Amino acid sequence: MSVRTLKGKRRWIALGGCLVWLAITFFPLYWVLITSFKTPIAVVGGPTYLPFVDFEPSLTAWRELLSGQRGQFFNTFLASTIIGLSASVLATGIGAMAAYALVRFTFRFRLLSALIFIVVAFGGFLLGRNVLGFGQGISLIYAFIAALALAVLSSRFRLPGPELGNNDIVFWFVSQRMFPPIVAAFALYLMYTEMGKLGFKLVDSYIGLTFAYIAFSLPIVIWLMRDFFEALPVEVEEAAMVDNVPTWRIFFGIVLPMSKPGLIATFMITLAFVWNEFLFALFLTNSRWQTLPILVAGQNSQRGDEWWAISAAALVAIIPMMVMAVLLSRLMRSGLLLGAIK
Amino acid sequence: MTTRNDPIKHFFIWPALIIVLLISIFPLVYSLTTSFMSMRLVPPMPARFVGFSNYADLLQNPRFWHVAGTTTLIAFISVGLQYVIGLSVALALNSRVPGEGLFRVSFLLPMLVAPVAVALIARQVLNPTMGPLNELMSALGFPNLPFLTQTSWALGSIIAVEVWQWTPFVILMLLAGLQTLPDDVYEAAALENATPWQQFRDITFPMLLPISVAVVFIRLIESYKIIDTVFVMTGGGPGISTETLTLFAYQEGFKKFNLGYTSALSFLFLIVITVIGLVYLAILKPYLEKHK
Repeated sequence: MSVRTLKGKRRWIALGGCLVWLAITFFPLYWVLITSFKTPIAVVGGPTYLPFVDFEPSLTAWRELLSGQRGQFFNTFLASTIIGLSASVLATGIGAMAAYALVRFTFRFRLLSALIFIVVAFGGFLLGRNVLGFGQGISLIYAFIAALALAVLSSRFRLPGPELGNNDIVFWFVSQRMFPPIVAAFALYLMYTEMGKLGFKLVDSYIGLTFAYIAFSLPIVIWLMRDFFEALPVEVEEAAMVDNVPTWRIFFGIVLPMSKPGLIATFMITLAFVWNEFLFALFLTNSRWQTLPILVAGQNSQRGDEWWAISAAALVAIIPMMVMAVLLSRLMRSGLLLGAIK
Repeated sequence: MTTRNDPIKHFFIWPALIIVLLISIFPLVYSLTTSFMSMRLVPPMPARFVGFSNYADLLQNPRFWHVAGTTTLIAFISVGLQYVIGLSVALALNSRVPGEGLFRVSFLLPMLVAPVAVALIARQVLNPTMGPLNELMSALGFPNLPFLTQTSWALGSIIAVEVWQWTPFVILMLLAGLQTLPDDVYEAAALENATPWQQFRDITFPMLLPISVAVVFIRLIESYKIIDTVFVMTGGGPGISTETLTLFAYQEGFKKFNLGYTSALSFLFLIVITVIGLVYLAILKPYLEKHK
């Protein structure tokens, strides 16, 4: 028994507080669940609380939902699933690679190279659009390539100025999360539209939305995975290096299997983020690749107070994440996420 | 061997670097340049360089200040409540309350529900005639309360929903932090006959300060981005009284297609968030260093 365990009356007060919070947590979820089994008349008639006691449960709402009378639920669910799974798998994979590189290797570059990138990107874009008369999309592409090439090239020379290292790269990645997503979502919408004019359809497309989600999940993936990798014992890798095992095989054959719990947890966190995301989906899709949050939000304006139907719709978006929560909490209990949150 | 050198490291890091550069940094270049221009899609207007006039317009627009104030109010009050409730619950769970295992799983749930769905549920629960909360209030002798249709009630409802949804995050992080605190300090305190309150004030809270600062920081930044909850619950109404920064930007950009103006707005938003973040860290830095 730990010294910190509460005793006597305090323990019961703490339990009481927890029970109150439990009731607050569960009531809304319970409410949406029972409402989805109510008939229209039962909903309009005022609040009722217990199925079979003060209202007769019915499957009307669910039958309507599943038969497709309430909009393209099946397609939207499919789109959400495909985008959610592929974006989280790719983000976890790419992010884990980057995080591993940032933990085990040294990166050095001068601040000046970063500045060159920014200046050339801005300047190239303005030059292309205003002076050379390219379209916006073309200018963006050229400026990006030129900026990247010059920045990489410049890092080969001994430039003056402060030197940046791994921690600065991590900070740069993580600071992406500070940006209000509206800044990026809106600009991304305009950029995608420009690309659409060039023949690459990105608005309301699988690639466009998935790429946006990968980019916005990467900071958190890198942050979480870096802590997992740092906690791994380095001796195993050293032993493999003595045997001249190439780095990519060390990573895929030894490091990844060892950090499986971390990868699963990171994947789940990313999936929850992508599944529930609203703003990017609102800007970047309109019909074909619309995700569940957009459809669910739309129910509100389309259906007014048809709460039975809205509840069923909301539950379709909620239930998969609830299942995941239970899985995640099992991982948590094994103390797995502890290291990630230091 | 914390570091080794191998050209393959570039192969590991560049995919992530390129994607983030392409999709989150480059649009910024585009929208920053747009923010200095007058540009509309509906009605179509040719782009024209206007310097800082979009920014000046915004700063003179009372609606901008109102929206910024509303967002700040929602963010600070809801994060404050989240922290107080989250810390209490985390402390209770950490001291092995009966049924702790069950609580841990269920307390996590709200965090994983789509904010849009949470807002829809809130609309049902708060509904004046069909919702349970107003029935409860009537039973307690209150009049029918205008939860979503009167400014102060609507703000309160949005804050309540934010607290419901995001307190789990605070619980999760603080609980993880509490579990890393060493037992021997508490054993020493118990020998000295320190009261639970003294233990909390002199040991737990100071030792938990670094993670508390981080949690509040993350929540504060995230709260400033709020849109989906407000979008569904009140749509910014009544009037514009619950409109937040992101919702305002959405209205200007997607409803009016006023591109230059919206870009300027999103950059002002970025500046507001950065300033708040820096001020927050500057205020707390001395405390953090004192307890190191």
